[in-house]
Amino acid sequence: MARVPLEITRRTLLKSGLAAGVAGAMATTAGATRSPAHADIRDDRWFDDGDVETTYNACDMCPWHCGVVVRTVNGVVRKIDGNPHDPKSRGKLCPRGQGGVSFMYDPDRLQAPMVRTGERGEGKFQEVDWEFALDLIADRLNTIKERSGPEAVAFFGHTAGDSWFAEHLPQAWGTPNAAKPSTSLCISPRDEASLMTFGFPVGGHEPLDWEQLECVALIGSHIGEDARNTVMQDFASLHGRGGTIISVDPRFSSAATKADHWLPIKPSTDTALLLAWLHVLITEELYDVEYVEEWAAGFSQLAAHVEDKTPEWASEITDLSPEQIRKTARAMGEHAPKSVIMPGRHVTWYGNDTQRMRAVMLVNAILGAYGREGGMYFNDTPFISDFPYPPYAIAGSAGGCAADPDDGDDDDDELGELAVGPTGKARADGAQDTFLQGPTAMQELIEPMITGDPYRIEALICYGVNLLHSVPLPERTKEALAELELFVAVDVLPQEHLAWADIILPEATYLERYDDLYTMSHRTPYIALREPAVEPAHDTKPGWWIAKELGERIGLEAFFGWEDIEEYLDDRLRSVGSNINDLRAQNGVIIQEGKPFLEDYEGASPFPTSSGKIELYSTFLEAQGLDPLPEYEPVEDPPEGYFRLLYGRHPVHTFAKTQNTPELYELFPENELWLNADAAADLGIDDGDYVTLTNQDGASDGPIKVKATQRIRRDAVFMAHGHGHTSPGLTNANGKGASDTKLMTRYNLDPICGAAGMRVNFVRLESSEA
Amino acid sequence: MRSIFLLDLTQCIGCEGCVIACKVGNELPEDVTYIEISEQVHGTFPNLSGGFANHRCYHCTDAACVNVCPTGALFQEDELTRVDSSLCSGCQYCVRACPYDVPVMVDGVATKCDGCRDVTKAGGTPWCVQTCPSDALRFGPRDEITAEAHQRASVMREKYPSAQVYGESQTGGLGLLVVAPEDPDELGLPADPQVPFISTVWQDIVKPGGFAITGFSIVAAGFAGIIARRNHMKELRELAEQGAAPSHDGHDDGEVQQ
Ligand code: SF4
Ligand code: SF4
Ligand code: SF4
Ligand code: SF4
Repeated sequence: MARVPLEITRRTLLKSGLAAGVAGAMATTAGATRSPAHADIRDDRWFDDGDVETTYNACDMCPWHCGVVVRTVNGVVRKIDGNPHDPKSRGKLCPRGQGGVSFMYDPDRLQAPMVRTGERGEGKFQEVDWEFALDLIADRLNTIKERSGPEAVAFFGHTAGDSWFAEHLPQAWGTPNAAKPSTSLCISPRDEASLMTFGFPVGGHEPLDWEQLECVALIGSHIGEDARNTVMQDFASLHGRGGTIISVDPRFSSAATKADHWLPIKPSTDTALLLAWLHVLITEELYDVEYVEEWAAGFSQLAAHVEDKTPEWASEITDLSPEQIRKTARAMGEHAPKSVIMPGRHVTWYGNDTQRMRAVMLVNAILGAYGREGGMYFNDTPFISDFPYPPYAIAGSAGGCAADPDDGDDDDDELGELAVGPTGKARADGAQDTFLQGPTAMQELIEPMITGDPYRIEALICYGVNLLHSVPLPERTKEALAELELFVAVDVLPQEHLAWADIILPEATYLERYDDLYTMSHRTPYIALREPAVEPAHDTKPGWWIAKELGERIGLEAFFGWEDIEEYLDDRLRSVGSNINDLRAQNGVIIQEGKPFLEDYEGASPFPTSSGKIELYSTFLEAQGLDPLPEYEPVEDPPEGYFRLLYGRHPVHTFAKTQNTPELYELFPENELWLNADAAADLGIDDGDYVTLTNQDGASDGPIKVKATQRIRRDAVFMAHGHGHTSPGLTNANGKGASDTKLMTRYNLDPICGAAGMRVNFVRLESSEA
Repeated sequence: MRSIFLLDLTQCIGCEGCVIACKVGNELPEDVTYIEISEQVHGTFPNLSGGFANHRCYHCTDAACVNVCPTGALFQEDELTRVDSSLCSGCQYCVRACPYDVPVMVDGVATKCDGCRDVTKAGGTPWCVQTCPSDALRFGPRDEITAEAHQRASVMREKYPSAQVYGESQTGGLGLLVVAPEDPDELGLPADPQVPFISTVWQDIVKPGGFAITGFSIVAAGFAGIIARRNHMKELRELAEQGAAPSHDGHDDGEVQQ
């Protein structure tokens, strides 16, 4: 993508009250700006500089929300540590969490609201004040609503404040077109598969009872590179006590280095392996017979279905030996029910992902893992009341408005009715047309911006989603952004999609703001506090403030019936006999009791499916004309000279968000292309060489540095996601590494849940100068 | 009893949480870290093994860096080696003497991990230990750490048959015991780290007289001459660069291709 500058005309001192005058200068207003990084070694310590003040927060360096304590001296945040009372952090933090201070003090942060003065994509802006920006947005939104109905406005949101921007606001406003990238570009297949099988989604925190677990299988989950703090801790504790670890991954990942069994599977063939595992578990009676009899429906169909799915059959497909497949199935069976396949997070790979995840669920089900100690516990959501507000204009749920339709009748296999907005329009993403159901699919809302089919999406409010690094087909996204009547971006950094925005609203970081309470679905459901450690830097504002100010300007004041956020929080906390001060005195968390295991249900079924049982055989899918039991479906192999493009995580970065954060950038400034060392030798490419990548449709990006390694198969290459930034405003990250998203010019739509399978792109390599 | 470190490389998953925690907690300047993580994977696809090596100060009991330091900027306290950069004269003797290639010069003064002296004296846990999500780091009394290290190595021998404890004998006993999943040498940990002979006599002969600027150049020249040979880490790196031996160097992240 062309490099797009963000050319900012700063407000004059008088008009804005900003201390900085010229473009590019660092403004220093309300919030403290940290002195530049220390030039030399200090012998004295920051904690001796003055009183250390402690505030509680939920880390926002990734969406995991570990509880942290923030240490501030003389108005400057100096250190963030894990909150030992928090069930997710348990006093520890991952590298990104440790980098939070650096994220906040990034000199590249957006400083004031801006309106576009140049063409879309050109990146020319004029700073304005909040009043002006919010009035302008409200005015345009009201016009669009009057002309085309509220459904013509889409809301995208991600991370901490997305409850305001992707749930509360759009539902109050009345649009079903609200979406989060964390669903159709990440976990939808997993959660839909779980819903169909067990009657509940996996939930945010994968509910493995790690403490008593004996055997885990990871299908592509690269713990350690995926640095979710709690998961790393749990994985380490299993490893440390000698538990069995099976890693299925085309790469010898960090997690694979700890595995007892590494299965370097041919990418895209996981379902074949899972079916063969089911075959071995069933034919060798390694599954939990009693549990299946009591809790599962459709076992005989499943057994018949996998009868011919022998390890020999799967071996041909997966490139694994029948012995490996048998051995690992037996290892899983031996430890049942303290044995599970980790559902994982980002599972939108090939477009048939819900079926693959169904196969994962079926293995876990017949291992007897659900509701068993050492298996999978049942997550619970904490009890707490909402702040009162009038009925929403449209029904919805997390993951975007109008997520899963429910017709209120649990006993049939019919699809529910889609929720409609005030002018009668249902979501524009093709639900119940190109795919069955599931949360609103963000990538499917792009096309209606261009084509107007089924109706035109005219405006987009985008909170914290880097559109050009998360939605595949970024060129299409640019075209869509250019078509919009109104594009508002709320962000912290000058990410590339901002160049297309009409109005940019700079948000305060998590260390500078209150937020809604974190109500964590967990084994011990809990409520956590985010409170500011310091005032917002520059002229930035908290998300809740932006949502409220905007809401009040578009006729939604009744949905924000509180004076300030403290009143809002205290009101909600009153329902659990607490308040902000109490919560602070309780180390920032209120922990409640859950019902994690089968015993806690005293014989009643914990599975809210229509049969009250685990539905191994899905009559729902059957009624929709889809496979009631998962089948292995081959996907296209890379053509001659091409490699399958795989992507994933590096432990010091999150999405496309942290590459510019100075201290994280320092550790991993650019991503690398993992290329099999023998394949590299054949191509005459050396470790450390730079290459340009070109995909099957001619899209290219790079240069990217080659990591020639034995740690990956010959038919695929791998890179960390989120690099290859093209915004000059990101002075560290700009131009470093390559963007996987840019090389995604196609995806396979999952016919069940509407997710975008993105591992269907292929690249070839050409030598390049650094 | 004084506290020492445990570093369990069978557990370390290479996340670099410790690196950043240390950097932030100690306000280290740009491009300076006290810990470096590198991958150490051996074999050819799909027969691979290995994990991560950590390069950091081992807090030697018979510490070459302390022995050669003419100003007292490096000193021993509570079983660990400490740094007071304000006393550093910039002579770089420690940089050259350390058998593990640890101290670095930043703006003319030597620095390295000081075991989080101020944090631990205030009753806290070293930043790196506190954050490690993999329980690869511990800080505690030497007897407890020693017992823990052996306990872990014995559990880990199931998974890694040559798991062993490293550091009980080296340089008089390290203030950081390592649980190694394989031969420590493979992880850049020499079985017999060479403490330069002169560093042991330096203490007795030269240092008592104080750091005499007049003797500086002579001593430095003679000293430098024998350092290259003894610096095990550097030699290995050079060999690796020439393709003659596997890289044991913690500084680069390329694994061994055989
Ligand atoms: S996993 Fe890391 S980045 Fe994510 S919330 Fe926890 S500490 Fe923060
Ligand atoms: S924090 Fe722990 S697991 Fe991560 S690199 Fe450091 S020692 Fe290894
Ligand atoms: S490892 Fe090097 S720097 Fe650390 S105590 Fe030993 S000699 Fe000194
Ligand atoms: S002990 Fe302290 S100074 Fe040493 S590496 Fe750990 S955090 Fe850094």
